[in-house]
Amino acid sequence: MYLQSRRTFLKGAAFSVAGVAIAKGVFSTDAVAESVKDSKFTNTPDHIGFYPDHSEWDNFQELDGSDWKRGGIERHGVRSVDNPDGIQVNNYTIVPTVCSNCEAGCGLTAWVNKDTMTVRKYMGNPLHTGSRGRNCAKGYAVTSQMYDPDRIPFPLKRAPGSKRGEGKWVRTTWDEAMAAIGKKMHDTLKKGDEISKKQIIYHVGRPNENGFGHRVPHSMGIDGYNSHTNICSAGARQGTIQWANDDRNSPDWANAELIFLQSSHAADAGHYFQQSAGLIADARKRGAKMVVLDPRMSNSAGIADLWIPCWPGTETALYLYLANRVLHEKDKNGEDLVAHDFVKEWVNWDRLMANKEYLQKMVGYGYISKMPEGDTYEDFIKLARELYAPYTKEFVLKECKLEGMEHKLDQLWEMYIDAGDKIATYLWRAGPIAHRGGWMITRAGFLSLALRGALRGDIGGTSFHHWHEISVAGKGDKATVAGERPAKVDVWNEIPWPPEYPLSSYEMSHIMPHLMMDDAWYEKWTKKGLKIPKSVAVYMPRMYNPVWINPDGFRWIEALKREDKFELSFNLSPTWSETNWYCDYVLPVGLAGERNDQQSTPSKPEQRIEFRQAVLRVAAEKAGWKAKDPARATLEAHMKFGLGEVWEESEFWPNIMVHYVDPDGSLGIRKYWASKKDPSRAVTVPEYFDAALSLLPRLKETATKMYKSEEFPVYSYMRDHGAWTEKTNVYKSQEEELRVDGEYVYAHGKKYHKDHVKKDAFGTLWVEHDGREHSIGIVKDDKVLAGFHTLSKKLEFFSEWFAEWKWPEYAVPVYPRNAGEYKKMEHIVTHVHHSMMKGDNEFALNTVFRLPYNIHTRSVNSKHLMEISQNHNPVWIYTKDAEKLGIKRGDAIRVKITDTVSGLDSGYFVGMAVPTEATRPGVLACSHHAGRWKLKDSIEIPGFEHKLGIMGVGAPLYEMTNDGKTGTLKPVAGIQKRHAGHNLWRFKEYNKDLDNIWWDGLSGSWQNAVAPSHPDPIAGNHAWHQKVIIEKAHADDKIGDIVVNYENNFKVYQAWRDQLTRPLDHNDKLRRPQHIKRPAVPLSNKAYAVNIKA
Amino acid sequence: MNNDLKQQQIARINLYALTSRLMMSEVDEGLLKSIETDENMLAFFPTYKDWQKRKELNSKDLREKYLDVDFTNLFLLHLIPYESFYMREDQMMETGGDNPVQKLFNDFDFRVELDKARVMSADHIAVEFEFLYKLCESELKALEADDFHAAAEIADIEYHFLKEHLLEWAPMFLLNVKSEAGTALYFDVADLALEFMLSDFEYLTQLKNNGYDYQA
Repeated sequence: MYLQSRRTFLKGAAFSVAGVAIAKGVFSTDAVAESVKDSKFTNTPDHIGFYPDHSEWDNFQELDGSDWKRGGIERHGVRSVDNPDGIQVNNYTIVPTVCSNCEAGCGLTAWVNKDTMTVRKYMGNPLHTGSRGRNCAKGYAVTSQMYDPDRIPFPLKRAPGSKRGEGKWVRTTWDEAMAAIGKKMHDTLKKGDEISKKQIIYHVGRPNENGFGHRVPHSMGIDGYNSHTNICSAGARQGTIQWANDDRNSPDWANAELIFLQSSHAADAGHYFQQSAGLIADARKRGAKMVVLDPRMSNSAGIADLWIPCWPGTETALYLYLANRVLHEKDKNGEDLVAHDFVKEWVNWDRLMANKEYLQKMVGYGYISKMPEGDTYEDFIKLARELYAPYTKEFVLKECKLEGMEHKLDQLWEMYIDAGDKIATYLWRAGPIAHRGGWMITRAGFLSLALRGALRGDIGGTSFHHWHEISVAGKGDKATVAGERPAKVDVWNEIPWPPEYPLSSYEMSHIMPHLMMDDAWYEKWTKKGLKIPKSVAVYMPRMYNPVWINPDGFRWIEALKREDKFELSFNLSPTWSETNWYCDYVLPVGLAGERNDQQSTPSKPEQRIEFRQAVLRVAAEKAGWKAKDPARATLEAHMKFGLGEVWEESEFWPNIMVHYVDPDGSLGIRKYWASKKDPSRAVTVPEYFDAALSLLPRLKETATKMYKSEEFPVYSYMRDHGAWTEKTNVYKSQEEELRVDGEYVYAHGKKYHKDHVKKDAFGTLWVEHDGREHSIGIVKDDKVLAGFHTLSKKLEFFSEWFAEWKWPEYAVPVYPRNAGEYKKMEHIVTHVHHSMMKGDNEFALNTVFRLPYNIHTRSVNSKHLMEISQNHNPVWIYTKDAEKLGIKRGDAIRVKITDTVSGLDSGYFVGMAVPTEATRPGVLACSHHAGRWKLKDSIEIPGFEHKLGIMGVGAPLYEMTNDGKTGTLKPVAGIQKRHAGHNLWRFKEYNKDLDNIWWDGLSGSWQNAVAPSHPDPIAGNHAWHQKVIIEKAHADDKIGDIVVNYENNFKVYQAWRDQLTRPLDHNDKLRRPQHIKRPAVPLSNKAYAVNIKA
Repeated sequence: MNNDLKQQQIARINLYALTSRLMMSEVDEGLLKSIETDENMLAFFPTYKDWQKRKELNSKDLREKYLDVDFTNLFLLHLIPYESFYMREDQMMETGGDNPVQKLFNDFDFRVELDKARVMSADHIAVEFEFLYKLCESELKALEADDFHAAAEIADIEYHFLKEHLLEWAPMFLLNVKSEAGTALYFDVADLALEFMLSDFEYLTQLKNNGYDYQA
């Protein structure tokens, strides 16, 4: 148009302003350009999976992170004298370690700046074959946890003259603390009587290591281990123990055709989140389908092919319906759907059919109409068909409250059948832990898988945990003076293992304070001949916050405040916690990059270990630094390089044992912790772990070749690599042949002379040692196979020992077939069953799901994780339920917890309602992982110039009242913005953005405190879900308020214990079946023996 | 060098400077004043010249209510003024060192200050135009020093950069701008950039065909 010719065009460009004045001028100067030209840095990795070659890990240079913020090296060049505004170059040592934020144990690498000896960032470890270089949000948060401005900088002691819970503290040293604690332990153990061996309790939260913690009480000859497991996953474990005598199942996600998830675990959070989620994503990319059974639409359910929101706790019915159809229907070729080849060979139907007495009982229970005609496999199939015939589609639709979702059951059936035996599942947490009888969900779930052959443990199927896990952390004995494992312990501690729960999957830790304060219980069992301690001399939680995470928190507070019940207590704690407040000592221990642990996570069919280590110590040692005391190298490194007096257990325990608990060796404990190399001191980390890790033959072979000149080659390998995969493609382990040579059979590391091995009528091989019979293998087609871990060496559809241990009616997978059986079979009917909901405002509260970016308590003060989790824990309520009750989004509601066994009310918490289609009608959802609190914003330490902040990023300030009967908590102030003057006296460089906190943290309530502790009568797990009655909040209520009648809660625990359990009695000679796992201390026959007076 | 050649070279510099500036960031008070007061400059924006809003509103309102809004729409929000977006099959922007334009700049020791440019990568249309502006400036310096050999080398770079980069994608983008523009100014900016770029390529092609003989 205007361009008549180029000449006139250009003529028009004779501007009055020169081009140089117009142009933006975005090209930079030559000095910058040259600095880049001279550097070796690339602007960006070639691909997102880029990682420096392992050969460069000890010395890797990289531009500072601000490079990215400022737009890349091209904009500023490399910093130098000529170019002071350029990008900083960091000289790194890359030290591998392992995340400790959840149980997945994903590989991490700490990028330690060699000039400042600080960790600049944590990345993944590509050598870890489970996590494959990847991490979730929690993994990358480790830097913010390490340099948390509120982390405890040195050991604290309750101020002399103050009471527990007053919040008055003085500074102490590790040695002073060890001296006081060690003396108390020494004096207790010196008594040497039965009671004293029950008076030291080591209470472990998420352990994230494989056996070191068990060694602590074991070496002291005490039954003093207490885990958190019965509030975590004991329900699922019980079902697995009955089927396979294993701890849990182990799926092959990557090769499955159907990913079958009950709950949000595996793909959303938890066991083993990031690794499982990655493998599941790989499988789905390949075409695998995914089904999620969950009353709540979790992240996983949201992207699944099928979401089935059963009424919580009724899933057993659905699994038995699948079993029913598999047993009765044929495939398109007219063939049976049952994988007869597997079931016939590897399920213990033969023992059921041979047990006429039990079959007669089944007739009596009405499970079957008459005795089977014969005892063949075909007779068994007939029996099973009759047993499961009542679990029809119509039944399931009604029992699981899936009316209108018939099509979903059809879809499920198609996917389930199409997948053949390639079904991978992880039956864990949620359902099995949430309900009375939750363990039966696992029993029934595995039945449906077993019938299809999916429990064969073949490619794409589901196997069992212990074949995919390596536990050697407790076995560094060869580095010690003793040179061997401590002997079995001779006592049985009734506090973690009370006589009402002989089959409990794990310790009854969630009722520990109840038992300690239950005088009637003490009297009852003492009269019956048991020797129960009236007090705990030393109570030592480790990485654990029992006050907050357990149900009935006010009971925990009451108990821990009682100095006559808990004489001395200390928490080995990486962060401030609610529990710390009620202890005598708070001893700061390390997080992911500050500990030394062997871990092994069975996230896929392989055997792998990972090695967590104190990265500052390792980096400093690589740079030539040496600790004054090699047995305290980690503590010294942390103090020297600015982290504070932060220690960890693999150095703490050897030191306290050698120098304070048993300094002269008279208690026989010292030798298990003193160094073989230098008996005057404790064993060191390299000595101990080199000995422990050397138990892996392939690792040892590789490491000794690679580190010929090193004193501790296996340790050195793990120090430099952080992970090792001992064996891949671990499938069908039950079919492995045992080694048999002329005279001997070899099993579980022992050899047995053939003359001492007996074969029973079912082909199982038995030996006698240690005063009892053990099964070691099974004969099939003239081959001696390892078999499963059970007594029969087969998967146990019929749990014979369970029947003998007082629960015959549940020894096969069953479920009430009609409303009339609910009461009769109450032990396996959820306490939040829909039949118990009477009014529009009565609901089942689903509490057991994790927020993907939080882990119980240790992530509390990571700003990164807190920021992305705030206001994400409302009370989910189904849209139409909310409409009926006039509840709108954001409304505060009172959620009153009421017990369906005792009929007692526990009090209420106030939460924020969010109506949503993502929970099913009649079921509320509110994760019990939020609602942290503190009673003081900071504390002053006499003689220390700075105030110590308390969970300043993660917990609002509350006011508490408790009078022994009623407890209340009310929020006073939300989380505040931080700035340099507000308790921010160190790690400032890592906490520049604390002034942009925008959340107040007042989105969750401490609902755990309102919940009474009600243990499943068999598995012992706290049945987490609750029956609740809701109403709109009152005028003075605030979200976060709780009011608890913990006097009632005590009665609820007693009701569940006394009305539902079948305790040991005078007919019992054993505390518990000896063949099933009894964590965590090995006990002698003497300990197992019991004599209860009539 | 003769005066015509010099004027032509200055004109090229000015036009690359003007077009790159206008596509880099919002027009500011000073630049708008220049356009309004310099008839030569205003002549390049014929639609704008007759635009009613321009006559009705003061400069501040004009910018804040119309021009800046349009710029944001065209260059920041809805259209993607980056070569990699147009050239890659996956329509992803390459913001790192693997960007071929970035590599080319690196080869010539040109460093783009992305924060100052307020762009996400070096292959932004305005940066590419400014690159040509810088080349033209260097070419002018060489011509003024009678170093015709160096000038020819630079002109050859200009030729190849236009041919292998800008012409491969910028016409598509600029046509999109013309189609999406909500103000007369940016309609004209796109038109000017497009026409000038094509015209300059014709000139460089001719120069190349003459063996870069500036005297011819």
